[in-house]
Amino acid sequence: MDVVFEDFRKAYGEGDGYGLSMTLCPIPPNDQPDRFPNFYRSTNFQHVQKDFKYRILHDAASPFKLPIEEGNGWVEVYFTYWKAIGEILNAEASNEKASWVKVYEAWKDMTNALLRGYTNCGFEAWTVPCLYMAGKYLRVFAIKADDAAGTSTASVKTFQEDDFNPEGEKNEKLEDAARILNKIFTTCLSDRAPLEESRKWGIYNIINLLFKTYFRLNSISLSKNILNAIQAYRGDMPTLDAFPKSHQVTFKYYVGVINFLEERYEDAEKHLTEAWLLCHKDSIKNKELILTYLIPCHLLTTHTLPSLALLEPYPRLQKLFLPLSRCIKKGDLSGFDAALVAGENEFTKRRIYLTLERGRDIALRNLLRKVFIAGGFEEAKDPSAAPVRRTRIPVAEFGAAISLGSQEVMEMDEVECLIANMIYKNLMKGYIARERGIVVLSKGGAFPGTGV
Amino acid sequence: MSAAPASGTAPPTTKATSTDKNADSPKETKPAAALEEDDEFEDFPVENWTQEEAEVPADNTHLWEESWDDDDTSEDFSAQLKEELKKVEAGKKR
Repeated sequence: MDVVFEDFRKAYGEGDGYGLSMTLCPIPPNDQPDRFPNFYRSTNFQHVQKDFKYRILHDAASPFKLPIEEGNGWVEVYFTYWKAIGEILNAEASNEKASWVKVYEAWKDMTNALLRGYTNCGFEAWTVPCLYMAGKYLRVFAIKADDAAGTSTASVKTFQEDDFNPEGEKNEKLEDAARILNKIFTTCLSDRAPLEESRKWGIYNIINLLFKTYFRLNSISLSKNILNAIQAYRGDMPTLDAFPKSHQVTFKYYVGVINFLEERYEDAEKHLTEAWLLCHKDSIKNKELILTYLIPCHLLTTHTLPSLALLEPYPRLQKLFLPLSRCIKKGDLSGFDAALVAGENEFTKRRIYLTLERGRDIALRNLLRKVFIAGGFEEAKDPSAAPVRRTRIPVAEFGAAISLGSQEVMEMDEVECLIANMIYKNLMKGYIARERGIVVLSKGGAFPGTGV
Repeated sequence: MSAAPASGTAPPTTKATSTDKNADSPKETKPAAALEEDDEFEDFPVENWTQEEAEVPADNTHLWEESWDDDDTSEDFSAQLKEELKKVEAGKKR
């Protein structure tokens, strides 16, 4: 146990929050594989509290003296940590899945002891990384415990029961963890100390843990409550850009995805672009995730596609987006539909299917644009004037172009309907002269934003 | 013991001058990543970094391109279109 408390004293003496949080890590450092067995065996249930109290409060070797109350708070934290380590060692040794539930419960006790430290024992704000550590693994252990519960009871459960409440029991511990994380969130947000020594500096790290948890629980709407809560406090909060980049990027990613799922694509694009530009260059996986949502956003907001250079480092994104991109560019409608069907599972899993589906409009726009360009130019009355494109185009020509790819003849009414839609969405400018069966396109930009 | 950082803009999570070194060690993130699903946003191996370390490779302007392709608008397409038009009209007369 002396190693742990040496580290504690060192970090505490230096006021090093991250160093302090490492003493509460549930995973031993690489160079100390025996740290936990030694720590756990160095005392026993009978003496542990007395031992820890002595080392935290009364050790003559300590360069500083903690107030009794705060010291007792830390004793409680390390006591619960010691018990959690015991459960972890047991779970790893027993290979029994159900023991992860005990780990979760023990870790939760430690998290609560830590929280009490802040509310009752005057723990200082620079120590908040301890809350990050507690919250991070609370979530990890909850997921492990739920996995274990799921596999151990699956055989007993009948299919119908499963069907009745598919989410309810499966995520019992994770939902519990979300409640504790929410307590941490409130403990950070409601701190009234002056900003420079406020727990508010921990807020975005905890919010990100909550977002991750809510996404996994599929209750994304709860994330909105969090956003509303910080919105209400924004006058008393440091601005986001004063936080570490890792907090900023993760937060912007999740806010971007929340906006994306609520179909507010411009807000989504803004947040995701910021996350993309701030993201650490070596975090390929995270950049890939940002792009997974940023690419469909770009398609809808600016009608642009990712270049090969952009996709180059991400084979998974190439697989995901290149077939669709090619069809959009070519105006190949049936190819687009086929690519959408082929990728349906992946797209649905990532919740981008509905957004990508709207890309069909862009594919259609490109096809109709090709018809317009193939129509060539009007015969010039004045050879010195710039050539004017033919702007009166029979509906039948558009119809032929559509059936070219699909090998199916489309009714003229249906073609007109598609064209009317294009005009309504401002992807095409002009009107349909029904009685003559032609489309009269605008001479000044028939397909806005595309150079013709 | 004050938690205030000298500049007032960095979080008071450390009183030492360097934040980065104290961040989670890489070892610490590994087992966690194994526990997480493959499409979850990962913890960064470091807490903070400079703008240079966030540099987007290549020129940003070449990363996004127009959604249409004018090279593809060839003679070929207008020939095909005429062909198809004839077919459609023939089909109507029948």
